[in-house]
Amino acid sequence: MNRTDMKDSLRDFIRRHRDEFDDKQPADRVWSRIENQLPGKKVSLWSNVHVWRAAAVLFLSLSVYLMISRSGNQAVNADRARLQIEFSDLEKFYNEQISDKIELISNIQEFNDEENFTQDINKLDAMYQVLREQMKAQPSEKIKDALILNMLVRIDLLNQQIKILEESENKTDEVAI
Amino acid sequence: MEAQATHIHQEIIDRCRLGDRAAFYELYKLYSRSMYNVGYRIVNDEVEAEDVLQEAFISAFNSLQSYRGDSTFGAWLKRIVINKAINHLHKKKLERMPEDDRWDVKEEEEVDPLEGYPFTVEKVKKTIELLPDGYRSVLSMYLFEGFDHAEIGEVLGISESTSKSQFNRAKKKLKELLESN
Repeated sequence: MNRTDMKDSLRDFIRRHRDEFDDKQPADRVWSRIENQLPGKKVSLWSNVHVWRAAAVLFLSLSVYLMISRSGNQAVNADRARLQIEFSDLEKFYNEQISDKIELISNIQEFNDEENFTQDINKLDAMYQVLREQMKAQPSEKIKDALILNMLVRIDLLNQQIKILEESENKTDEVAI
Repeated sequence: MEAQATHIHQEIIDRCRLGDRAAFYELYKLYSRSMYNVGYRIVNDEVEAEDVLQEAFISAFNSLQSYRGDSTFGAWLKRIVINKAINHLHKKKLERMPEDDRWDVKEEEEVDPLEGYPFTVEKVKKTIELLPDGYRSVLSMYLFEGFDHAEIGEVLGISESTSKSQFNRAKKKLKELLESN
């Protein structure tokens, strides 16, 4: 073993300047390559849930905005009727999908109020009810679009949850820890 | 301070174990630069050092469960990086690691052969890059990574005394190269 008390200019120099020797930076592509092979990939959906949570907040603001800035005076009666009919068709179509998916998820897992996922869905549902009242009172393209977007977001969220559940099912099948 | 640093990283490591992606990235950010340089000093090639870094992190992330905290996380990770880097050198087979009997010579420790030499970081770095793979690996593990000769021997599959004598030869070669420039 090298005696540490023995003078060694090279060793001392390197020790004093140790950090300066670590001057090279790895390229960004290294992380992207690592990221593709991270263990437990399903967790990536977590970040998406955060995105959806942000979307939920945005929605709430939007519906509040819509409620405040309602200007129903331009809406002609005929126009209103057309919107209502258009919307009720779409609503039927999407709501069927939503209830199918909720049923599918409930079959795999009990809904738990603590979960962010359930909270998101509930929030979106509450917003939906508010928007729907608005649609009845003051139908407009804007509200119709917001309602449809709300349903689409819920469908997306439900799809993600289904994927998570499927993946975790597969995982428990593969590895019994 | 060291203990505190270990503790802070422990929290990130725990999150990684739960599969938190952001935590993996935090850990990568904390260690990628130093680990890249560790690998580079051994393989002597930037692109190859990137491969080493990638392999080491993936392997570390996948075996986080086996990190028990006996050493600091940095030391544990560094060991993985060095093993991957040495594997790369072996794969290239540009140069065989010296055979024990040929290199197991008596130590000829000169008293500070480079005393008063006007070192600069740049000069030392460039000169180390000129060393043959075997010399450079031993020298960098010993002088830069704080391995002792027993550990170097373990990594390279050579005896402790071979590591010592190879280190002395590496230093001698480095001295020649430094002085000829």
